[in-house]
Amino acid sequence: MGIFEKRSKPLFLFSSVQNKKIVTCKSCKKKVKKMSAENKPIREIVTPGQVIATDPGLIAGRGAIKEDNGQITSVFVGLKEIRGKYVNVVPLNGLYNPQIGDKVIGRVIAKTPVKFLLDINAKFLGILKPSDAFKRPHQNRGYPKSMGTYRLPRENDMDKLKMGDQIICKILSGSRTEEPALTSLGQELGLITEGLVIAISPTKIPRVIGKKGSMIALLKNLLHCKIFVAQNGRIWIHGRNPENERLLIEVIYKIEREAHTTGLTDRVKAYILKEKKIRGIK
Amino acid sequence: MPILVPEPHDEICFREDGKRLDGRAVDELRPFSCEVGVIKNAQGSALVRHGGNLIYAAIYGPREVHPRHLARPDKGILRVYYRMATFSVHERKSPAPNRRENEISKVIREALEPVLFLEAYPDSQIEIYIEVIAADGGTRCASTTAASLALADAGIPMKSMVVGVAAGKAQGRVLLDLGDKEDKVGQADIPCVVVMKDKSISLLQFDGEMSLEEMKTGFEYVLKGAEIIYQKQLEALREKYNKITREAEIEDSAVGNLPQNEQKSINESQNAQDSLQNTSQIDEQMKVQNEKQEINNDHKAEPSPLMENSSAINESQKEVEKGEVEEKSKDEKSSEENIIKSSEQSANSTDDSPKQGENQSSQEEQQLNTENDSPSGDDQE
Repeated sequence: MGIFEKRSKPLFLFSSVQNKKIVTCKSCKKKVKKMSAENKPIREIVTPGQVIATDPGLIAGRGAIKEDNGQITSVFVGLKEIRGKYVNVVPLNGLYNPQIGDKVIGRVIAKTPVKFLLDINAKFLGILKPSDAFKRPHQNRGYPKSMGTYRLPRENDMDKLKMGDQIICKILSGSRTEEPALTSLGQELGLITEGLVIAISPTKIPRVIGKKGSMIALLKNLLHCKIFVAQNGRIWIHGRNPENERLLIEVIYKIEREAHTTGLTDRVKAYILKEKKIRGIK
Repeated sequence: MPILVPEPHDEICFREDGKRLDGRAVDELRPFSCEVGVIKNAQGSALVRHGGNLIYAAIYGPREVHPRHLARPDKGILRVYYRMATFSVHERKSPAPNRRENEISKVIREALEPVLFLEAYPDSQIEIYIEVIAADGGTRCASTTAASLALADAGIPMKSMVVGVAAGKAQGRVLLDLGDKEDKVGQADIPCVVVMKDKSISLLQFDGEMSLEEMKTGFEYVLKGAEIIYQKQLEALREKYNKITREAEIEDSAVGNLPQNEQKSINESQNAQDSLQNTSQIDEQMKVQNEKQEINNDHKAEPSPLMENSSAINESQKEVEKGEVEEKSKDEKSSEENIIKSSEQSANSTDDSPKQGENQSSQEEQQLNTENDSPSGDDQE
């Protein structure tokens, strides 16, 4: 569903929800985001076509539509939540929808003389051009940079990536009907040379990150692994040793499987500590 | 099991006691069961057992259209492939798609199109593969039911679920959900697909002779049968996730019921980890926030039910750390934002590789996402 941002009239699937109040805390005099007690989300599994609200004061948020008779119905199998006056349905399964600025992990699956085509787990293949993939080589002959540099003759950039290479990229541009253009120049981006990449459902990615990055911090600290979570459902991991990596992979799959349950962080923490004890991982 | 009767069939469809040959009443369905998520490689999948029918449906897409000339710039296209296995019927069926299969593919596609938002997927296609493993009459209805389940499982937005069920007439009596023999020797057959939200009809085929009165009765039966199948569909969709929730609850309770010695050992091992600025620090900070919220009249935060659910480890930890936390809450005047930032830094500080972790901006984005998206708010208020 390659619908990108900046639509004048958002479709029901992608309408943004803004219902958090910004309140000034009395003791610390700082502004904090706060949800009032009555806005506490209520969650239950709903199915397509199910009437989830009939109150005329409520607005259909993402994953919900308002019928002519005023009833709000769900369009997904998902978790219903009412935040303020918005009724949302968070889908439990779905495809990755590329957004500009997302960091994704792509795999080179085709080459043309002028571009690489990357599988990014979306509807379209991503396009990576050599000018967006490699810095142009230059040399400054030992002088300060202000005195100018001269550019070295360019090598054939198309030989630098092989088929099957995994690359961390950022989405530069694209629209609903165009293939997204990628770049691999920038912080954290580039060819993956070590570690391994696993794939989970893109809808479960927010759970792997956790609120304020709590889950990912827990995984990093307890298992001493490097993790990069890409928005398209792929996760790069690089552990100290195979045992840690293996446990981490199991934990990530556990998070994916139990993403809709409550108390996940506590359960995952207990599970890691238990498994570490059993497997003798320090 | 299908009733094995030699061909040509005799005309008899009722027993002496007035019931049908398989013991059903006229308005009774064959046994129906379904489950979702049965094919791992598919985006969504379903298995339907309806009488002797055994049908798999799998969804792929939305994805690029090949050949490209079929793509439409204004809306996506739906492609349905209904196929029968060679062993699904009494005599071997040729594996090549025949006229009947192409026709059923078409009618299923037209039955499903009204409930999908195809305009949200221009230039792309959604593919539905339906494989009939065993056929026992009424496969097009059962296939539609399976396709509807698979679409919902795949996370493709739908206006409503649809249910396929047939009515008909045999030996002068109106019947619901015809079996194989009733289908063949009966006088009429009406396969219907019902859109369950408003009980509208999305597919209606008619073959045979029936009076208007009989037709009316037939539709009453269809709506009655569709409602039963619909409830089973919903149950199957929820069961996929409820099963995992139940298992998780058992796991939670197992951790909560650990003997005290083991809990202590877990706590000790946690404390050992804490030297590396680990998550319990984050927990502490969250508790500081909770304490603050209690202190401030503004933040009348009730302890969330999720916190109550959390394991006994945390509770025991709370007691140990409460003293420290109280001191901290008095001393520290830093805002929640600062706390969050520091927790991020502590999280990032453990690894220095440029490739790993999220940078601040992406984390912030994800925070926003997670605040809106994540299915449960167990971590923070």
